[in-house]
Amino acid sequence: MKPARFEYAAPDSLAEAISLLEQHADDDVKILAGGQSLVPLLNMRMARPEFLIDLNRIAELQYIREEAGWLAIGAMTRKRAVEESELVRQRQPALLAATQLVGHPQIRNRGTVGGSMAHADPAAEYPALALLLGVELRVAGPGGERRIPAADFFHGYLATALEPTDVLTEVRIPVLDPGTGWSFLEVARRHGDFAMGGAGATVRLDASGKLSEVRIALFGVGAAALRLHDVERELVGEQPGEALFQDAGARASQGLEDPLSDVHASAEYRRNLARVLTVRVLEEAVGRAGGAGGREEGSR
Amino acid sequence: MSVEIPKTLEDFPNSSPRFVGRGVDRVEDPHLVTGRTEFIDNVVLPGMLHAAILRSPVAHARITGIDVSEAEKLPGVFAIVTGEDAKRWSFPPPTAPEEWGTHCMATDKVRYVGEPVAAVAAVDRYVAEDAIELIAVDYEPLEVVADPAKAMEPGSPLVIEEKGTNVMLQRVFNWGEVDEAFRDADRVFTEKFRWNRLGANPLETFGVIAQWDPVAGSLTLRASVQSATHFGLGRAAVFGLPSNKVRVIGHPHGGSFGGKGGTRGTDVTALLTRKAGGRPVKWIEDRAEYLTGGGSQSWDRHYEVSLAVKDDGRVTGLDVKLLDDMGATGECFGAINTVKPLAAFTGPYTIPVARYDLTIVATNKLPQSPYRGMGPPPHFCALEQMMDIAARDLEIDPAEMRRKNFIPKDAFPYTIASGNEYDSGDYEAVLDGALELSDYPELRERQARARAEGRCVGIGVVSAIEPGVFDWNAYAIVGVQGIGVPEGATVSIDILGKISIRVGFALEGQGQYTLATQLVADYFNVGFEDITVVPLDTFSAPPAFGPGGSRLGVALTGAVLGACEKLRAKLVRVAAGLFQMDPEQVDLVDGNLVAKGVPGVEMSMPQVVGTMLARSDLLPPDIDPRPEATYVWTAAGRTEADEEGRAKSYLTAAQAVHVVMVEVDPETGLVEILEYCVVDDCGTRLNPATVEGQTEGSIAQGIGAALLEEYVYDDQGQILTSSYMDYLLPTINEVPATKKGIVVTPSPFTPLGAKGCGEGAMHTTPAAILSAINDALVPLGARATEVPASPNRLWNLIRGAKERTAGE
Ligand SMILES: Cc1cc2nc3c(=O)[nH]c(=O)nc-3n(C[C@H](O)[C@H](O)[C@H](O)COP(=O)(O)OP(=O)(O)OC[C@H]3O[C@@H](n4cnc5c(N)ncnc54)[C@H](O)[C@@H]3O)c2cc1C
Repeated sequence: MKPARFEYAAPDSLAEAISLLEQHADDDVKILAGGQSLVPLLNMRMARPEFLIDLNRIAELQYIREEAGWLAIGAMTRKRAVEESELVRQRQPALLAATQLVGHPQIRNRGTVGGSMAHADPAAEYPALALLLGVELRVAGPGGERRIPAADFFHGYLATALEPTDVLTEVRIPVLDPGTGWSFLEVARRHGDFAMGGAGATVRLDASGKLSEVRIALFGVGAAALRLHDVERELVGEQPGEALFQDAGARASQGLEDPLSDVHASAEYRRNLARVLTVRVLEEAVGRAGGAGGREEGSR
Repeated sequence: MSVEIPKTLEDFPNSSPRFVGRGVDRVEDPHLVTGRTEFIDNVVLPGMLHAAILRSPVAHARITGIDVSEAEKLPGVFAIVTGEDAKRWSFPPPTAPEEWGTHCMATDKVRYVGEPVAAVAAVDRYVAEDAIELIAVDYEPLEVVADPAKAMEPGSPLVIEEKGTNVMLQRVFNWGEVDEAFRDADRVFTEKFRWNRLGANPLETFGVIAQWDPVAGSLTLRASVQSATHFGLGRAAVFGLPSNKVRVIGHPHGGSFGGKGGTRGTDVTALLTRKAGGRPVKWIEDRAEYLTGGGSQSWDRHYEVSLAVKDDGRVTGLDVKLLDDMGATGECFGAINTVKPLAAFTGPYTIPVARYDLTIVATNKLPQSPYRGMGPPPHFCALEQMMDIAARDLEIDPAEMRRKNFIPKDAFPYTIASGNEYDSGDYEAVLDGALELSDYPELRERQARARAEGRCVGIGVVSAIEPGVFDWNAYAIVGVQGIGVPEGATVSIDILGKISIRVGFALEGQGQYTLATQLVADYFNVGFEDITVVPLDTFSAPPAFGPGGSRLGVALTGAVLGACEKLRAKLVRVAAGLFQMDPEQVDLVDGNLVAKGVPGVEMSMPQVVGTMLARSDLLPPDIDPRPEATYVWTAAGRTEADEEGRAKSYLTAAQAVHVVMVEVDPETGLVEILEYCVVDDCGTRLNPATVEGQTEGSIAQGIGAALLEEYVYDDQGQILTSSYMDYLLPTINEVPATKKGIVVTPSPFTPLGAKGCGEGAMHTTPAAILSAINDALVPLGARATEVPASPNRLWNLIRGAKERTAGE
């Protein structure tokens, strides 16, 4: 379990990283962030880049700031920093909840916010959270900076809008509006494992207690995280309640295309998780929004 | 010279022993926690090369060509070996059953994914791994047999063609009038169980440095090996060398649990050092190699079990049919796992008659290795489910069901139907302790409340036996010949009164050096700081087997105390000579040699030792002047197996009761352990902290077995769990804090009354958790009969039960 030979550079600045990427555009070049996904792939020789550009020395990519309704997080910010951030706790508790479901403290000490977005594992929490909250991803490449909404960033199994010469620089996450209820849950074999299935929801209620805004995202059940736009639409304008949630769960489950199947969970089981988790995140999110049929926080 | 080994601490020549029986700090730990223990991967020898092994990517194929020419050209490569070298320089290894082995590298065909095909020794591991990528192997696919039932069918592809069959062993053992018992039973219960392949996962994988001496024609092996002597004898057989030409230096290792066999990798590495002209070659098994091609896999079982029961709950007969998928060969002695259950076949119960219909089959999978417990844990998991099934049908509480069938405490020593003799026990006291500690009635009330809320909560109450102090005779029926397993120790005192204990096994983690130190410190009334434990290699150590089969605590106690007794006798004779008295008039008391009844006539140990070393003219004429003694302990009274496999085999029988409460989420099948309570009796606890550590770790492994761990192969023999992403070990998050209680019934057969306890809770935990799950599932009408009881499996069962009820 030793990687194949590769060249290595560790630039100190983003500009330097971009120019290195340009210089090596014709080589098989790869960015190294926290290494929690890439290093095992290198060691098992499943990834064998010719050139590795290590972003760990670039201090300018590590920050968490609040900017006019957004949390701006540098791509090289460690998940541990997110977890410990007071700003995150206050402004976007769903981000905190999702972060705490990523691996173990040791993994979060090294693994970065940008790395999870760029890697786009189907069972990863962050891509689902990005779809759920409407995250914006900022990318620097040879052609300058681009801003890509999450809905356009994720392209399926381990695939994103990033070109090999692009650096993901910043992840911008909207702060939680007061009055929005949220939930983020998953089912894994062990605490810290990639989820066999997971779901997130945000809801808003109107003055009569009806659902005025609903978002639901699933992960771990298919080739990539996904939003349940159809299910969401059917819920808007409805009075929340157990029967409605069950209905939504059933539709989430039926609508699932090609659920994953592996040694831990069959496609059928994942279909079931899509249902169960959709119900549970709706219950919890509505509960947090103070609505009917909701469930107390932590009662699951 | 007959040696009287102390039976209790009162027999020690010490008026106030301070260490034995106390949870003293371990002498091993300062090195371990400061990173100073010399593990094999830390060792660097001059000129040493590094090996990488090319392994088969397919389960069954003929090798039609191997081209190593590109690899040979890579700078830094020193030697390449293939099956041709294996044929030239080695033989297939000893196996169980006999003659089910193949060479350490595929010679004609590959038989499982992960089988070594070629290997490279190079300047470093990176270059070695680059080189194996350059070796081109042509495989001509053969039909794969990955299902043991299919492997038995006529016309099945053969794993080892020369054998003419895939059935390694098929035998029915009848102990008593089994058919009669089933005929006379009020009720008969039958169920099938599936225990999926799992195994040992020590923190450190296997590692070895092999060095061939081309002049002497001898081999030196430094290895993280569990039993150096046994390993060395096996390697001598493989290489056709006299046994005194294979020297094994055991290194401290980071756990084993049975997974440190390492024979294939060692044999490949030995071929490499020979091909490299005697340069030392290091091979460190990496995790993927360990999981797919190492000592990682055990117990791949299909059971059908029947129980004959009377209406009052008495179990009158047990019938167990087992089909075990051994994998490709018998080289790792995996078959032993299937016959060890004879040592405790009927568990803690008085079941008078039993039958064992045993079939062991070869398939295109990794050969099975030993694993903690060595076979009985799945057996008990099935037996305990049967006890619950019967209890539920008879409407008897599961705890009372056990109580009704326990061997009573006045019946020991007790010979079970399958022939072994249990030394002692008080099973009811253990059960009562567990029911009290867990507050069982309150647990049942909690369960009732939870059920009323629609939650699936269940309680398991199970009991099992841990056979301790293994003996080869237990394995005769799978072709392992012999009786008795020696363990030796040398105790030596220097001129300043400092003591060395020389042993023949490497540090493995169970605190054995601490135990030896406790014993000697109390015997000679010295402090821990006065004692060093010295592990020696196979050319210089006293005869030894080392850890395995829950034996070393007992065996080492016998060896060390025997050596102490012999040394005392020697010191007494020398002192008596100097006092001009008879030896009977002199005694060792609190570390001094004193003349009985003559105040003031005494010598310190260093004085006596100094005299021995310097003044041979003052010694009794026939005495060996070295201030040391060696004793080799073996268990007494072991018998040869009879025609039905019955023998007095394992010397001790520890017993435990576990009470567990779990909750099953019926929508996801997830299991949460709400309460875990253990009471056990392993006789005298020589170091209670060590026993507790063994229990704790074994519970973790039992939880892994019950809920998580499984090596999955597809029908093409491809392994789907080749990393820790997919082979799931329990972590601290999955292992609950446990309540523990103890009962002490000393063994009448062992030094100080201790029983084997190193395998421990693994015998009981999987059964306890599965029982609790099944108790939780009762209202849903589902029954789990397969471990690991994964969420997906439980969900399938619950859904199936729902569909059945809906259909009614
Ligand atoms: C035991 C274990 C458990 C884990 N459990 C989970 C889990 O439950 N959920 C989960 O989501 N993840 C889990 N992970 C993965 C972990 O979260 C990784 O940190 C994450 O997937 C990648 O982040 P990284 O910073 O380590 O990136 P790396 O591994 O360094 O890189 C991953 C990929 O992203 C690319 N990349 C990284 N940063 C950038 C950038 N700024 N611009 C462009 N491309 C970039 C790299 O080139 C590479 O292709 C686990 C990992 C381990 C080892």
